[in-house]
Amino acid sequence: MAVGDRSEAIVKTFAVKPKLKPTNKKSTSSPESKYWKSFRPKQTQTLVSSITSLAFSPTSPHDFAATHSATVTIFSSKTLEPKSTIASFKDTATSACFRSDGQLLAAGSYSGQIQVFDVKKRSVLRRLPGHSRPVHFVSYPRVDKLHLFSGGDDSIVKYWDVSSETSICNLIGHKDYVRCGDGSPASDDMFITGSYDHTVRVWDVRVSKIASMLSINHGAPVEDVIYLPSGGLIATAGGNIVKIWDVIGGGKLLHSMESHNKTVTSICVGKTGINSVNSTNQYRILSVSLDGYLKVFNYSTLKITSSTRFPSSLMSVAFSPDCNTRVVGSANGVLYAGKRKTNENIESVESEWGKHIGFGAIEEPEKRILRPSYFRYFHRGQNEKPSKGDYLIMRPKRLKLAEHDKLLKKFLHKEALVSALKAKNPENVVAVMEELVSRKKLLKCVSNLGVDELGLLMGFLQKYCTMPRYAGVLIVLVKKVVEHRIDDISGSDELKGYVRNLKRLIVEEIRIQESLQEIQGIISPLLKTAGRR
Amino acid sequence: MIRGGKSFVSSPPSFSNDAKKLLVCTGNTVSIFSTDTGLQVTELEGHTALVTSIIVEPAPTPASTILCYCWTSSLDGTIKYWDFSVSELMKTINIQLPIYSMVVPSFLAHKSENSEKLSDIYAYISVEDTKNEQNKQRNELSGKILKCNLSKSHLVPGVILSESKKPEKITISSTGKYIGIHEKRKIRIWEVPTKDLKNISPRKLKLSHTKNLSCIAFHPTDRILVAGDVTGRILIWRGFGDKTFAGSNLENEKLLKDEDEKPGVRGNGDADSCTTWHWHSSEVKVLSFSSEGVYLYSGGKEGVLVLWQLDTGKKVFLPRIGTPLLNFMSSPDPSLASVSCADNRIHILKMPRMEILKSISGIKLPSPVPEMFRGSCKDFVFDHTAGLVAVRTENYCIQFYSLFDDREISEVQVCERNHQPSDDVTMILNLVALSFEGSVMCTVETRMAEEGIGGFVTLKFWERGSQNNDFSLSTVIYEPHRDAGVSAVAFHPTRGMALSASYGGDFKVWVSNHEIQQNDRLIQRTRWACHAVGSYRKKPMTAAAFSNDGSVLAIAAETVITLWDPEKNVLVAVIGSTREPIENLSFIGDSNFLVSTSQGSNSQLSVWSMAKLSVSWSYKLHTEAIACSEKDSHFAVLVVLPESSKADVATSHSGAILLFNAGDPVPVASWFVAKAKGGGIAFIQRNRSLDDDMDENEGQVLLAYVNGEHEYAVFNPHGVEMQERKVRHTDSVSVTGPEVTGQIGYASIYGKLPEFKLEAGAESATLSERPWETIFSGPSHSLPPLTKLCSDFLESLLKKRTGTLI
Repeated sequence: MAVGDRSEAIVKTFAVKPKLKPTNKKSTSSPESKYWKSFRPKQTQTLVSSITSLAFSPTSPHDFAATHSATVTIFSSKTLEPKSTIASFKDTATSACFRSDGQLLAAGSYSGQIQVFDVKKRSVLRRLPGHSRPVHFVSYPRVDKLHLFSGGDDSIVKYWDVSSETSICNLIGHKDYVRCGDGSPASDDMFITGSYDHTVRVWDVRVSKIASMLSINHGAPVEDVIYLPSGGLIATAGGNIVKIWDVIGGGKLLHSMESHNKTVTSICVGKTGINSVNSTNQYRILSVSLDGYLKVFNYSTLKITSSTRFPSSLMSVAFSPDCNTRVVGSANGVLYAGKRKTNENIESVESEWGKHIGFGAIEEPEKRILRPSYFRYFHRGQNEKPSKGDYLIMRPKRLKLAEHDKLLKKFLHKEALVSALKAKNPENVVAVMEELVSRKKLLKCVSNLGVDELGLLMGFLQKYCTMPRYAGVLIVLVKKVVEHRIDDISGSDELKGYVRNLKRLIVEEIRIQESLQEIQGIISPLLKTAGRR
Repeated sequence: MIRGGKSFVSSPPSFSNDAKKLLVCTGNTVSIFSTDTGLQVTELEGHTALVTSIIVEPAPTPASTILCYCWTSSLDGTIKYWDFSVSELMKTINIQLPIYSMVVPSFLAHKSENSEKLSDIYAYISVEDTKNEQNKQRNELSGKILKCNLSKSHLVPGVILSESKKPEKITISSTGKYIGIHEKRKIRIWEVPTKDLKNISPRKLKLSHTKNLSCIAFHPTDRILVAGDVTGRILIWRGFGDKTFAGSNLENEKLLKDEDEKPGVRGNGDADSCTTWHWHSSEVKVLSFSSEGVYLYSGGKEGVLVLWQLDTGKKVFLPRIGTPLLNFMSSPDPSLASVSCADNRIHILKMPRMEILKSISGIKLPSPVPEMFRGSCKDFVFDHTAGLVAVRTENYCIQFYSLFDDREISEVQVCERNHQPSDDVTMILNLVALSFEGSVMCTVETRMAEEGIGGFVTLKFWERGSQNNDFSLSTVIYEPHRDAGVSAVAFHPTRGMALSASYGGDFKVWVSNHEIQQNDRLIQRTRWACHAVGSYRKKPMTAAAFSNDGSVLAIAAETVITLWDPEKNVLVAVIGSTREPIENLSFIGDSNFLVSTSQGSNSQLSVWSMAKLSVSWSYKLHTEAIACSEKDSHFAVLVVLPESSKADVATSHSGAILLFNAGDPVPVASWFVAKAKGGGIAFIQRNRSLDDDMDENEGQVLLAYVNGEHEYAVFNPHGVEMQERKVRHTDSVSVTGPEVTGQIGYASIYGKLPEFKLEAGAESATLSERPWETIFSGPSHSLPPLTKLCSDFLESLLKKRTGTLI
């Protein structure tokens, strides 16, 4: 005695749907992976050679600089096109770094000289010679505008006073090339450097007499090292491993991520703009490697949240502070720059546009009072947005019916099959076939098909009949089709061709099955012994 | 004891005078439903057999529509008069013959004549003459139509309108002027005399047709008769009985006309013309005229209610009701009508538009299963905690029916298909399983192939939503065991783990993975994924069960029972063998016993000791179902009694429920039941709210029995002695009728026991016709010495050989 309207319970429309596909356990379309996918990499012009470093300007509009061969190219982050080029290097340029106000840029070079440029005028302001070997690492502290630190292949780390072009102190401790480093976000006097002697050292220039505050052994030549935004953790990359360390806790290893297959060349911190509520959870480590993968690692949950493959070995990566641009530099000089496409972007552009053309307040048209004589009076309230506490009564969703569904509803079985075949979605075709089977009409349909429609069916069958998902239905069907329509097939050359193809396919399939069985024969004893253990 | 699950559609229902109530025959009682809410209001209890007809006494004046009197007739041979507003029995007339149909013409005729009220009320009843048994055997006419004086409560002597092979349903015209029956290809019609006096037998007339007829209806004003036949034709005879019923002075004129001007009328049927409408594709079951006679309602097996305009033959449809229609009843209120459907459901229609307002649905009837799936289908499962039974229905749904409330709780559409009763079955819902707490459901459905193309099995997992009533689909698994059918599904008692066993020789363990999606809001999803696959010598797996703590998994591989560790998927032990494939397995509560049943020629009920890994005791019994209590070591089996032993038990008892203690082969209690074939039993937890009049033992469980026609009874299996003390209870038990009949208490067990003892003995003593196969079977210590056996063995072999040679 269930109470309720039963009339719709009696007549229901069920669209013919293909079988569900098995879904991956890790849902690929999690909002985060969607976010990282939204940085659709746009291949800009190919630069001359390997992109050794990438850096974003800390100030808006967050232009970025790429070093490659003997030049530094500055790109606009809006258009992702090169804005200007600085070419006053004698040898390969390395490690571009913006000052905290974004006006100056420092870069090292294989010649051992460090140069400071004015970003706008492209002129060299200061030259800092001192390193005897190539310099791979130059960096401004996070806030401080007056100093620089650098590391070179002479295994010396130097702390510079920029204005006087003198090195304040030489920090000695590394025993091999110093290739990377980062300034602490907590203090301008502290920084870390990584070296090919497998160690990462933490330096404090206030106590420069002592060799280094802390030394961490990564276990492989360190290719890149960064501070994580909290300032308490650092991430090191070397070999194919990225490790996370607790520096405050005395250099304790927190996690080791081994998901790359080749040497990790560069890492940087990225930010997901998804949940603005929980700001601590939105930082990610972006790592690129020679294997061509860009991986995004969530170090709070210790999980890889996204993995993107690029066609060539990657050398450097950078992520803009406003979370809108991500650039990846490859070893063959291709720069993959991606801008996030969001509605917010468009809106913000529009609002800015509005600012420019807004000549004071534009008068809004006065709202007319609705009277019962107006047509709209009777429609009032229909476009009202529901407020928070309102209970929404949804309109029942209309089931969308495809062409073959409509034909099936009219019991036009052959036409439904033909329309599904014409639509060329194999899943739908098989679903329609299954529906016809449950109406016991499939073979009747097959025998009613015209010659050209039969050709359509045969074309479909030869394309899909050995595909494992559909083979169960289709292979038996092929047999029946050939049995039923032998006369028509022998009368048409086109159909004969299909049958010939089918024959070939079947021979091929038998060969595949045989080889699979062989493999199974090889594997199953192994599995048995493994299971026994 | 709670009973329920009665058929609502065995006989036509009847509206009360104000059309606010609908009186429905439900087994031995008449249930009264409100047409506004579709809920049961009250019940008229008193008949001891199936109620066959209800006639509401019409109100003589419009003001008195609130009067609620009705007459009911029943197979127990009585006619009862009720005031159904207070559900009080006013009068009983004992006819002593089972009444199959009853009509009262005087209720319908001449409502205006007040003087008529004083005269007696006569009813015409269709009875089965069971008095002389010899008649039956000689295949004579046992169905009779008799006349009964209801006011004086006796039969009118000497009036036998007709005799037929079996009692037929009487149809009456809405003015009460004519009554008719249809028997095979003939229709007989009588005109009821206006002054209904004692002994006048009415005038009669015969019409015939070439096909078997299935129903007839009279036009309310004109002399038009419509009849439906088994092929779907509707025949309309116009002007029937001009010759017989009309004044005799016209007779001569008519006779002249007769020979040439009777288009379509067969033989010398007395009618002007006969026309045929053929729209229905199969048997017409429902024919009814609208009150003014302009329209005709018809319906049949297709589940379509058709409204015909009588003059033009134009049609309006209420399509896709989904089950065959059985009855159409119009009500005193012109905006209401009711349609009874074969799936035990009564729809109340809003009339001019033929829109379904409310549905009164009883438990779904067992749906027919094609021969090839006979073994692999289970009709219903129980939800032990909520006291529900989940019934597999014909339209690919699972109906959840509350045993305590006797009403439908919900219905879940399992396959995305509409059921058409006249179509071939191409898809079948094989199995249903519910997890222990009832929150997860697993269903198995099979699509049949068309000449080998495209058949497959689908396993579906359903999760109960937070609203606690609707199941939603969580996982679909196509072809879980390749093309082999699924034989059993079992749920782990505590964890999210399930097992499916297949005839293809393997079983799979499925586990659920929770996963929370954070897309704007929290959506919790559960997916079921395969955890392990196992097989035992490629033997078909026929039954499966988890132990009560979930640590052991028992799977029957045809005749042996394999025990597995479900976590590690390791075979732990294999226990002995039975003679026939095991059909059913179950662990008994917290005791370390396992009970198995097998069917076939050597059907067997065996209890296995898990401690000794051997059979503890066994009987040769045809067991239909087992139920094991969760807490203690009791279990109950539903046994179908063999044909031979039926002689000493009453004929209506086809089975028995035996309650055992696991360690003890002597049953603790037993009950005889009817219609045991296809039935099921289960221990269910007592619903707290119902405990008022029952005893106060809170922890006890009740035993529910559902018979082959989905009628059920719920009772306390341990309260046997107590019931004997309670006089009220024994009374109710003795009046139970054929459903669950006389309970035999503990004391009377001893009278019954020898029979089983004999059978048990017989099993061990009798050798099969091929003794060389079994002569060595049995534990070695109990076998006679080999020297003795050897000669026997050789002898038996030799005997057989010579026998076959000659």
